[in-house]
Amino acid sequence: MSPARNGVVEERPPVVEQRSSPGDHAASWRRNLSFGRIGAVYVLIGMVILFSIWIPETFPTAATVRQILNNYAITALAALALIVPLSAGVFDISTPYVMSLSGVITAYCIVHGVPLPVAVTIAIAASLAIGFVNACVVVGLRIESLIATLATGSLIQALITLVTSDIPINDARLTEGFSHIAQSGIGNVTLPVFYVLIVGLAIWCLQEYTTVGRRLYATGFNKEATRLAGVRTERLRFFTLLTSATLAGFTGVVLAASLGSGTPTAGTPYLLPAFAAVFLGATQFKEGRFNAPGTVLAVLIIGTGVTGLGLANAPSWAGSMLTGVILIAALALTGVQRRTTRTGRAKA
Amino acid sequence: MEMVALSDPGSAPAADDVLAVRGLSKTFGGTYALRGVDLTVRAGEVHGLVGHNGSGKSTLIKLLAGFHHADDGAQAWLDDEPFDLADSGDARHDRLRFVHQDLGLVLELSAVENLALHATRAHGEQRVRRADEERFTRELLARFGVELDVHRPLGEASPVERTVVAIARALRAWEGGRGLLVLDEPTAVLPDEEVDRLFQIVADVRAQGTSVLYVSHRLDEIFRICDRVTVLREGRVVATADVATLTKSRLIGSILGEEGERETSRPHLAAAPGLPLLEVRELSGRYLDGASLHIHRGEILGLAGRPGSGRDELPYALAGVLPHPVAGSFRMDGDADWRDFAHGEHPESVLLPADRGSEGVVREFSVKENLTLSVLDRLGVRGALSRGRESRFAADWLTRLEVRAETPDAPITTLSGGNQQKVLVGRCLAQEPALLMLCEPTAGVDVGTRHALYELIARQAAEGLAVLVSSTDADDLLAMCTRVLVFDHGTVVRELTGSAITEHALVHAMEEDEEEQS
Repeated sequence: MSPARNGVVEERPPVVEQRSSPGDHAASWRRNLSFGRIGAVYVLIGMVILFSIWIPETFPTAATVRQILNNYAITALAALALIVPLSAGVFDISTPYVMSLSGVITAYCIVHGVPLPVAVTIAIAASLAIGFVNACVVVGLRIESLIATLATGSLIQALITLVTSDIPINDARLTEGFSHIAQSGIGNVTLPVFYVLIVGLAIWCLQEYTTVGRRLYATGFNKEATRLAGVRTERLRFFTLLTSATLAGFTGVVLAASLGSGTPTAGTPYLLPAFAAVFLGATQFKEGRFNAPGTVLAVLIIGTGVTGLGLANAPSWAGSMLTGVILIAALALTGVQRRTTRTGRAKA
Repeated sequence: MEMVALSDPGSAPAADDVLAVRGLSKTFGGTYALRGVDLTVRAGEVHGLVGHNGSGKSTLIKLLAGFHHADDGAQAWLDDEPFDLADSGDARHDRLRFVHQDLGLVLELSAVENLALHATRAHGEQRVRRADEERFTRELLARFGVELDVHRPLGEASPVERTVVAIARALRAWEGGRGLLVLDEPTAVLPDEEVDRLFQIVADVRAQGTSVLYVSHRLDEIFRICDRVTVLREGRVVATADVATLTKSRLIGSILGEEGERETSRPHLAAAPGLPLLEVRELSGRYLDGASLHIHRGEILGLAGRPGSGRDELPYALAGVLPHPVAGSFRMDGDADWRDFAHGEHPESVLLPADRGSEGVVREFSVKENLTLSVLDRLGVRGALSRGRESRFAADWLTRLEVRAETPDAPITTLSGGNQQKVLVGRCLAQEPALLMLCEPTAGVDVGTRHALYELIARQAAEGLAVLVSSTDADDLLAMCTRVLVFDHGTVVRELTGSAITEHALVHAMEEDEEEQS
């Protein structure tokens, strides 16, 4: 098939080489499985082996797997809520407080006889409203997102205390139908694990297969260049805070259901692990980009480590320490790797 | 028109010389940036250094400062003492000080803190003595007759005050007397009224016995404050002369070269007849002050003028992307209605920003992702992004632009500056605009790519695209434009068309406008 047959083909140097030979396929697989890309997978495997040798009676069991999945599903949800704003360079520190608020609202409504679907809707709508306030403060008033959401988070906590006097809402009605949201499951795996899969998949699709996702990343990397390229960056940043608050609201409902109570400070302990997981996740799969699979993987690592240490009767501080060590190690490792590959390329 | 070379090449410096450099060359990847440069600065003189973009001015300064290493064979003396230009050691900095164009100040810190940053303290003494630092800063600034709140962040100070702080910092721990202060384009960001204050300060520095090497592209400044001037062209010293023996037109001739007008491959474009695509009336912003212009389809309109003349602000104002308010009105295709910028309206257009690094490329993105950023909506249905379509689109454009990239998925940072710029131009053209506005289109772009870009733009214009080119590089305007507007003080002061667009005319137009107001 001669290209000249078309008669219009211009002679141009083949500047863009398409690579598709079998050897290149192997190379691309090697790249995809390299330590730099999915190092956390290897760390996870290593941890599993280590704990299996250390505590062979209790660790390598189906029960442990279920325990990790069920216990860390809510951490994963809280972390997933942070991804969309972070990918656009927006910090939403208020999500744990929104989780608490949403849980308290749901519990309050149910205790006062509001039907379950309506109660959940009210809680998520209230969360969305908080997100709207966040967005107005960050985008409208142009306040740095980290500080702005720290402030609104504090205000939310004040609001919760004002209404509940920091007394958890406990009631028999909360342990009935409502608790099924988090406590029933399919074959011993509770529903929150499936929520993680659904939400994670949705975020993955948003980021990888939509124009909005691409623009979010661009905004996070270079807001000014993206704005000058004609992207409405401020509108995107506004939108991200709505998504994080809505997801946090949903997570709060699930959290309250798993606790069977509306606890005024239920969300707070999730702040650090969630952020740790998202940042660790950004070093995986899509280097430098906040992404859902990386985040879920990071939660699994943290969960496996903490659970394993618990089973091994390690002191209680060991879990938090592990999280910190893993996070710094992962970031340092990818930092080192990025520097070496960059300079290598620059010299080439 | 060779001017008298006052120094004898190869000879050792005379007793009167503060700085002497002989046979200085620098090659970057096989190309000469500087070739056998001789430079002598005498005690107590203000010595001008002039030349076009790319003539080697900044390379020379960077070599003196030790940022680059000179090629072998160069000799240099500071007051009879030889020093090694291939060595970046800071021994020379006792008597050779620099104020670079960006000043290198931390704007969030105060004058005291900025000066303390560079303090050399006695060994073991780590503590910053605030009182001492403050007294020291006040004394230093008092030397230049500047009254400045030394505790306020420098970001709040005026440009000239910042320049003075930078000069004061450069002269820190200076014993006074013989030495050389290098000022690299110190007036580039100064408003005209503050230039006089800076000149006073330069005169003060000289009065204290220090020589000044004054780099500038504003020729009238050379005539106002310099004793002698050295002209660089294409990496060589073409002349060193007493300013008193020169006229401005001789100096311009020397900068541009004997051959004068270079052959340009300017396209012979005819603007589409009929009504202009865009008319703009009384556009005002931060620098713009009532500028009016019009542009036809198929026309490449150049904007010339110094930074701050409104020339650089205009494309951003038209694109409606400035943070500050813009006043004025416009109409498209001779509409009956004039629309108002103050109402948030602006003409349909596409902008290539001036600063490729901070306003153009997304460094973390691939070549493909950078290319398609503005046209994502066309690559999918209802917000879904078709990866296949995007890849085909990118491959097609990269071929058309002749971008040398390993693959469209390679990081944009693996491309040369010129290829990155091609990708950004592709991003603009892919939007199929009626009006394209290019800011500094060839900054940091190699010569080959430059001409490829010129041809690409000319082809687009021939197909009816209206192009606005705002550039500090006269070559851009010469190579592309069929009409050039010269800006000064926020308005259009001159219009050049067709064969009247020459390098001489462009330089003269800008220089004369300065003369008129001074």
